[in-house]
Amino acid sequence: MSRFGEVVGTNEVAVNANVIKLDNVRKTYEMGETSVHALKGVSLSVEEGEFVTVTGASGSGKSTLMHILGCLDTPSEGHYSLGSEDVSRLSREDLAEIRNKKIGFVFQGFNLLPRTSAAENVEVPLLYSRPLEPASVRKQKALSALNLMRLDDRASHHPNQLSGGQQQRVAIARALVNDPELILADEPTGNLDTDTGREVMETLVELRAKRNITIILITHEPEIAAYGTRIVSMKDGLITSDTSNQ
Amino acid sequence: MKAHYLAITLHGIRQNNFQAFLAVLGVTVGVSALIVSLGLARGARQSIGDQMLAIGANMIVVTAGNYQVKRPQDSGIAPADHGFLMPDTSVMRGLASMESPRLISDLEKPETGGATFLLAHYEDDPNAEHDHPTAAERLGDAMAGLGAAATLSIEDARAIENSLEGISFVASGVHENARVSLSEEEGGKSWFTRLHGTEPTLPSLRAGWTYTSGRFFSESEFNDKSNVMVLGQVVSDRLFGTNANPVGETVFLWNQPFEIVGVVSSKSWASRPAAGDDQFDAIYTPVSTIHELLNLSKLNTITAAARSAGETSRLAKDITMLLRSRHGITEQMPDDFTVQTQAEKLLGSGLPPDVARVVAGNMGSVDNITMEQLSGSLERANTTMVTLLASIAGVSLLVGGIGVVNLLLLSVTQRTKEVGLRLSVGATRRDIVFQFMSEATALTLTGGVIGILVGISVVHMVGEFLGWAVYLSSLSMVIAVVISAALGVLAGLYPAYKASSLEPVGALYYE
Repeated sequence: MSRFGEVVGTNEVAVNANVIKLDNVRKTYEMGETSVHALKGVSLSVEEGEFVTVTGASGSGKSTLMHILGCLDTPSEGHYSLGSEDVSRLSREDLAEIRNKKIGFVFQGFNLLPRTSAAENVEVPLLYSRPLEPASVRKQKALSALNLMRLDDRASHHPNQLSGGQQQRVAIARALVNDPELILADEPTGNLDTDTGREVMETLVELRAKRNITIILITHEPEIAAYGTRIVSMKDGLITSDTSNQ
Repeated sequence: MKAHYLAITLHGIRQNNFQAFLAVLGVTVGVSALIVSLGLARGARQSIGDQMLAIGANMIVVTAGNYQVKRPQDSGIAPADHGFLMPDTSVMRGLASMESPRLISDLEKPETGGATFLLAHYEDDPNAEHDHPTAAERLGDAMAGLGAAATLSIEDARAIENSLEGISFVASGVHENARVSLSEEEGGKSWFTRLHGTEPTLPSLRAGWTYTSGRFFSESEFNDKSNVMVLGQVVSDRLFGTNANPVGETVFLWNQPFEIVGVVSSKSWASRPAAGDDQFDAIYTPVSTIHELLNLSKLNTITAAARSAGETSRLAKDITMLLRSRHGITEQMPDDFTVQTQAEKLLGSGLPPDVARVVAGNMGSVDNITMEQLSGSLERANTTMVTLLASIAGVSLLVGGIGVVNLLLLSVTQRTKEVGLRLSVGATRRDIVFQFMSEATALTLTGGVIGILVGISVVHMVGEFLGWAVYLSSLSMVIAVVISAALGVLAGLYPAYKASSLEPVGALYYE
């Protein structure tokens, strides 16, 4: 463990501020009599503007890691700082606010609301922002996020009128709409063919280059992992390698 | 509701259009049944009340004189004669009076006053000697002023109107039997009928009146003592023929021209115009005009309307007390007036005086078991029907509510991923509770509003095509809206609780 701690230590020398700092995070699920240790002590620091890809077989703990990073779940032990804030012991309400303001999610299954236009789908996070912005501002923000994804001509289309790649780009627009510090992508190309998958990955690379946004992406495909600037491999709830991929 | 909750709610409802339609339908049926039952209930109650008022169940009539008491000077007269003296209704009264020797002697008395007379005193007391020509002589009509005999004054009428609680309207009256003719000359078409000198308030007392043509005389015509006349339907039919409109025509009473301003008829099944009745085989003129023409100051009757039919017995007692004290009648002395409720008049008429006296003595209880009981049994029949409709409304609302609960529970399951997504982008548990509660409320309120519209149309159709009495109150709409909103809140509670207790991770990856 300390070995990775040292790795983290060397990274801290870098100019950029840490967006993410995990310190010996453990996650244990109680399943009746038995306990499942999903994360067995993970420490990880990510700087602003990094594109980290996390790979590993299923059951390696990469999904649990992503849930904790995304404030969808809390660690059983250890600390997690997002920006300057320790979020490992926050209430559900506070976590909801952090998800709303600081994190954008991109899922494998897109998770768009059916029978709802692309623009309205992108607007959803804004509906839960406090203070609530006026409808005209929300609409404007949704359209400019779609514009960034070159989907402004699809704003009034419903998900079933869009291709898979377009749907995923609507989902990325939704993740961007609240101007988050961090984009968390969970197998974003899993439901797409190779060409469309590559297109989506290039969109993310471009986004990072344009906006210096921090991206953490989980995948089990090595060729997708190769898009990252840094590749973290996991196995049995532990980080087994953490290499730069510049 | 905040704007963004509305947006979230509408998103939600769009996910399940068909189920939403079914749930709304249930509530619609319930609410429209509710509106219809309330509309019919109020309508029927109103209608029963109207009929009671139309036949005068709330009417109290005070008559000058007291036929129940044998006055000292009456001692030798047989009971049958008292029957003739029964107040107000008897056409015979005027004829009997006409034959009395006093009046004939009055007519024979020579006068020297010329065209204008100094009227030294009123001719209220039929037994008084007059040092000036009597009304009959001045007006050149032998029958003018024959019914005058009075102890009641306009001031008594105002006292009853102003000092008793539960009285809605009061009209004073002088009643005569008179011949009304189409022309001034003898032998023209004429009709012998009942003349009521009264006040412009009378139509307010006659709930069952409707005007075949024209109107009742006005306040200003009353104040000006104008020669205006309202004909009862029977009189109009006899003089001008059925379906004629005599408004604007002139008729003659005591050789004086009167302009006809209206014809009055009945709108109630309980009293149809008939020859010989007191209301429609009658003519109406301002009491002020009659007082002027006949040189009178007193009244024959004061008619008062109670706000509700059930109060007439109590008010009759109150009026008796009030008039006794106003007339300075001491404890041992009998009333110099008679107070009757409509029920007493109905039961008392046509009875031998001794029997009538007994009936009148027990009238307190008889009164209560007639109109009030009739009204009561109609109300009970109505309540049964309304209870039935209200049960249908209740069951439909329950079914509609269960439909909404079912729809929402289903959608909690179907939309678990949606809930997960919403949680992941920052929705709190409270947001999710609000979403499902407001979806439920939006559905039931939609059902409620459609239900109100459907209910109103059904009520109108029932009123139009079945001819039932209906009454739509804004209160019933408010009740319907409140009930449908409350139903939404109740129906939304459990699904909302279920949805909000989902964990973000579990919900997001739910398949």
